[in-house]
Amino acid sequence: MIKVRDGDLDKLGLLFERYKKPLYGFFYGMNRDQDLSEDLVQNTFFRIMKYRHLFRGDGDFKTWMFHIARNVRHDHFRKDKLKAKDDVDKWQDRLGHDENRSTEMQQDEEEQMLSMAMDRLPADKREILLLSKYQDKKYKEIGEIMGCSEGAVKVKVFRALQELKVVFQQLEKRM
Amino acid sequence: MEKWEIEKLIARFNEGVADPSEVKLLEQWMEEGAVEPTQLRELDQMHDRLLKSAEALPSLRLDDSFYSMLAQEKKETAKSRFRFQWPDWNMLFTRLAFAVVLIAAGFAGGYFLQRPAGGDTPDVKRLTQEVSDLKEMMMLSLLEKESATERLRAVSLTNDMPEVSAKVTNALFETLNNDENVNVRLAALEALKPYVQDGNVRKMLVRSIGKQDSPLVQVELATLMVELQEKKSVKELRKLLENESTPSEIKTKIKESIQVLI
Repeated sequence: MIKVRDGDLDKLGLLFERYKKPLYGFFYGMNRDQDLSEDLVQNTFFRIMKYRHLFRGDGDFKTWMFHIARNVRHDHFRKDKLKAKDDVDKWQDRLGHDENRSTEMQQDEEEQMLSMAMDRLPADKREILLLSKYQDKKYKEIGEIMGCSEGAVKVKVFRALQELKVVFQQLEKRM
Repeated sequence: MEKWEIEKLIARFNEGVADPSEVKLLEQWMEEGAVEPTQLRELDQMHDRLLKSAEALPSLRLDDSFYSMLAQEKKETAKSRFRFQWPDWNMLFTRLAFAVVLIAAGFAGGYFLQRPAGGDTPDVKRLTQEVSDLKEMMMLSLLEKESATERLRAVSLTNDMPEVSAKVTNALFETLNNDENVNVRLAALEALKPYVQDGNVRKMLVRSIGKQDSPLVQVELATLMVELQEKKSVKELRKLLENESTPSEIKTKIKESIQVLI
């Protein structure tokens, strides 16, 4: 990223290739909408490109990227609250229809249930779990992304996992 | 808090018998760093399962839109300002190599013009061959560069070569099939067009169809197959039609090409 900041824009292509999948996975996990998730990945890289001179180089690029990604997502929903409501409606609608998961990879039953349980969590809990997935449980970095302490992140993850476990068990009983 | 107190509470939580006040205490210790989430067995297993779960993948549309955005930005950056930069050694080496090739070409040209007709033809031939070898060598080394611009330059070097060796065509195919940048792949395909009379080149072009994931390259290859009337490509083109990830507009174009070829 330092080379990108210093004018070598070709290197941004390398960063895109390395991080497009986790970034897309994060957005898709949050909204379950393929087109929207791809647009948000594009917007995130657009901001990275436009504000490349602001990258200080003293921290991890991935952490900086997810920080921008969260802002992009918040801005998207803040800009168009009506659309956000529409998206929530669509999202709730999708929960009952598994055929809408066609873009997901082949999953075994347990993994599918875990994914359904994730969909039923409130957005903040889903977000912290997705960040811990794509940041490989690095709580300090997640704290930098979310603007809180490492300890606070651990507690948030703990609470989200507890709720995920409850929802998962409920789904298991229904099956 | 004592170590045994922490362990006792963790054990109670793992057994599922911790009451809400104990869970709150656990959270407090976690925030202070005395308890790690990994110590909570069942939750940690669920966390790991989540981490290992399959991921959704973006479509090729994302690649196309990102690379057009990048190309646009590069164009604007180049237009908007001129900045003096100290050349890095890598760049300097490439430029020096260019200079050496140009000087050698100049010598060869001068030598050829100065000689009376029917003079030292073998020498001229040898020099021309040396220049050609130098160009080949430079092209192959430029293809290894990380920068897409350098690789594009490498591919365009073949335009000046009257004849190319199998090594060069192989390198061009390697680029056509594996380069991460669509523009470089397209340039490699363009560079291969003068050699389509060679049966082996045609065979490798047909094989390359199945290796392409970019719609742009797929369409370009399909068009070339029609121009060449290469009927052997129909099988590979049909495979693209069967592939779910091929965009519908590309499928229409490929269907048209197959119709013409049949």
